[in-house]
Amino acid sequence: MSVPPARRRATAEPAWLRHLLLAVGLGFLFFFLLLPLLAVFAEAFAAGGRAYLEALQDHDARSAITLTLLVAVLVLPLNICFGVAAAWAIAKFEFRGKSLLITLIDLPFAVSPVVVGLVFLLIFGAQGLFGPWLAANDIKVVFALPAIVLVTMFITLPFVARELIPLMQAQGREEEEAAVSLGASGWQMFRRVTLPNIRWGLLYGVILANARAMGEFGAVSVVSGHIRGETNTLPLHVEILYNEYNAVGAFASASVLALLALVTLVAKTVVEWRLRREVRMLSTALPSEHN
Amino acid sequence: MSIEIRAIGKRFGAFVALQDVSLHIPTGELVALLGPSGCGKTTLLRIIAGMETADSGQVFFAGEEATHVHARDRNVGFVFQHYALFRHMSVFENVAFGLRVRPRQLRPAEAEIRRRVSDLLQLVQLEWLADRYPSQLSGGQRQRIALARALAVEPRVLLLDEPFGALDTKVRKELRRWLRRLHDEMHITSVFVTHDQEEALEVADRVVVMNQGRVEQIGSPDEVYTNPASPFVYEFLGNVNVFHSRMHGAWADVGREHNGAVPAAEATAYVRPHDIDIEHRPVFGSLQATVQEVHAIGPLVRVELAHASELIEVELTRERADVLLLAEGQQVWLKPRQLRVFAAPPTTLEEGGSGI
Amino acid sequence: MRPLFGPGRLLPGFRLSLGCAVLYLSLIVLLPLSGLVFKASQLSLAAFWDIASGERALASYRVTFGASLLAASINAVFGLIVAWVLVRYSFPGKRVIDALVDLPFALPTAVAGITLATLYAGNGWIGRYLEPLGLKIAFAPPGIVVALTFIGLPFVVRTLQPVIEDIEPEVEEAAASLGASRLQTFVRVLWPALLPALLTGFTLAFSRSIGEYGSVIFIAGNMPLISEITPLLIISKLEQYDVVGATALAVVMLLISFVMLFVVNGLQWWAATRHGTGAADGAPR
Repeated sequence: MSVPPARRRATAEPAWLRHLLLAVGLGFLFFFLLLPLLAVFAEAFAAGGRAYLEALQDHDARSAITLTLLVAVLVLPLNICFGVAAAWAIAKFEFRGKSLLITLIDLPFAVSPVVVGLVFLLIFGAQGLFGPWLAANDIKVVFALPAIVLVTMFITLPFVARELIPLMQAQGREEEEAAVSLGASGWQMFRRVTLPNIRWGLLYGVILANARAMGEFGAVSVVSGHIRGETNTLPLHVEILYNEYNAVGAFASASVLALLALVTLVAKTVVEWRLRREVRMLSTALPSEHN
Repeated sequence: MSIEIRAIGKRFGAFVALQDVSLHIPTGELVALLGPSGCGKTTLLRIIAGMETADSGQVFFAGEEATHVHARDRNVGFVFQHYALFRHMSVFENVAFGLRVRPRQLRPAEAEIRRRVSDLLQLVQLEWLADRYPSQLSGGQRQRIALARALAVEPRVLLLDEPFGALDTKVRKELRRWLRRLHDEMHITSVFVTHDQEEALEVADRVVVMNQGRVEQIGSPDEVYTNPASPFVYEFLGNVNVFHSRMHGAWADVGREHNGAVPAAEATAYVRPHDIDIEHRPVFGSLQATVQEVHAIGPLVRVELAHASELIEVELTRERADVLLLAEGQQVWLKPRQLRVFAAPPTTLEEGGSGI
Repeated sequence: MRPLFGPGRLLPGFRLSLGCAVLYLSLIVLLPLSGLVFKASQLSLAAFWDIASGERALASYRVTFGASLLAASINAVFGLIVAWVLVRYSFPGKRVIDALVDLPFALPTAVAGITLATLYAGNGWIGRYLEPLGLKIAFAPPGIVVALTFIGLPFVVRTLQPVIEDIEPEVEEAAASLGASRLQTFVRVLWPALLPALLTGFTLAFSRSIGEYGSVIFIAGNMPLISEITPLLIISKLEQYDVVGATALAVVMLLISFVMLFVVNGLQWWAATRHGTGAADGAPR
């Protein structure tokens, strides 16, 4: 969207207004984005590099990191399978109730994380629907890994599907139909045609889902039980240290999460760029005019 | 391989896409399915390919019923309207796809695949593009690659959906002739869908004119043009003047002489613009008209005339126009060389039919 | 040209993919949520009403909705400016800043919470300049607004950006050539085009803010009746083993979620039908 400056002149704001808007907009971003980001690292290193490293080598911090990674590793594959399946059905077929399904996929975005946590507590908790049965069989769900995984599945459910549905709709059915008419089996069609076509969109969704899976706080906090060294994910660990007035420890762990966020942003930007190129290819691959 | 379509019917919800369509396509013929958009021609093509299932009726390939055979197993080459090239594969891989996805025991060796693909690229004269990606090709090149890809699996039937629809005029004409030549060399039974009558008439051995889910006429290009079976075919294939017997009694009389039993009160006469002669004096069966405008268009001269507030279009050769020396406002007499009379009511297509 | 009804066409995997998707969605989202509704239905209507309209609950609604509304409004105003600046002007570091707008999506809310609390505390980088002026932000209701503004920031920007990109310069040039001033062009030509997306972004930010928990609790001070948000009230009821009370409030929150979802869908439909292309297609969530 670069318009040559000569063309812009007739419709540009006066210089003073342009500068004012720039100052206000960038100032807003400075105070609300950049400053917090810098503050995380400044606080983490407030007591020097050694204290920072020590905080990260703490046993509880490391087990929190491990648990956070484990949750992401367990949740993401399921989320990918769901996202691809839902997008395939929605983008390539017509059926009754399709728009309802799309709306329901959005639902986890709208529900408060605390409510999500409570919901699983009500089902699997001691007084919950399956609580007595689970207790009798000595299966731990709530205040243990299963519940953390379940709430994370709930929270991250829409990400991959939301990315893939518009992409696959834009790509249409014809390439897959061509593959089938050339004799490809369902799996060959999916692996050789569909998957390469959606790989960037899929990756984009996974990056977003991963960031959310690792960073989720509210829902996990309700069902985790905050057992140190066992059911504390990294965000919960941050909370505990902060509430104990261990600022360096809290911000050291927070800086790991902030780094994760920055990596996410970079990866997202790169993938977005590839994705845009793909979509541009799509628009040139499909001639717009035809009567 | 011959194709036989028997009493095919197809609905999409309340919309009737095809109604009792029967059709026989002999081996080696190049057939055009011609009709306006929404007439069901693409649906019929997709049913032949097995991409859509008919609600009723049967499809036979070489005398064998294929109605319920899966598209994968029909051995049909399908060229999509927008080519549907695999955008992340090179041109070479696109063409090789059909060979590579074969079950292991039927799959040719890698060297054989390379040979066959390069033969096909040679056939479509695009070997030098083998390593490019679809997005780097022009529309005409994509079209030819799509064709090569369809031919790679050695199909028994070639089906093309609006093969030239998305191309500009010049490329379209070149590709048209090229496809005709290719067909003459390979003699593979081929069906293509088009809404462009010129394309159908120029390329096909036979033309199937379709309208609102039905077949209106099947015949050679010459037959359907010179001897349309219905008002719709008349109007769809080229320009036509429509005369109602109430208003143009004299012409309807002429028509009756030609066609016999149509009652004058309910007849409409169809005359092509180039089938009308202009005379300076009244002759038997002629109609008086006033010259409105005269345009020279290339080799032709198009004359618009008014008769009783209705517009009549006549096409003359330049030589004839030079002899007539027509001027605006001049009174002349029109006489049809050839016309057809149909019983009213005529079809509801807009007056004048589709332009050339 | 080819409307399709019902499955059974060429492409494989319809039943399998739809079946898997519906099963996963049901097991993970729908059944658990209906468990909540089931639990709540064991309460009598009067008891439910008692809890849902208790003094502390009402105060928490006021805090949650008030702060969310204020934060979403701040984001609407500044988000419009930011989106405009990012699309229309060029300046050094633009691409980095553009990428940074998504930070609130990527940064875990707990991190945002402790960081903002530290920044706006009396001895923090920002708080130390505001406190002498009598402005107490952290550990007071304004802190909630700050946290929610951070959380909702990308929504308005990311919803507006594609719409501003799509506005053809010709439209503005046409307005200018017809004698409109820059202000008139904005008010009469640009504003109507931007409004649906702006409202969509506002609603998305608002809807996200209502349910937000992680970033708020660190900075809010969490005083009952004054700076206690509804999600926190649910948590504190849970901590007092008042599962019934927590459930009742959760049902209220869930109902609000459904309403918000409905409103967002309506807005996106409106934006799409009014301006051809889906204005909210690129809307982040």
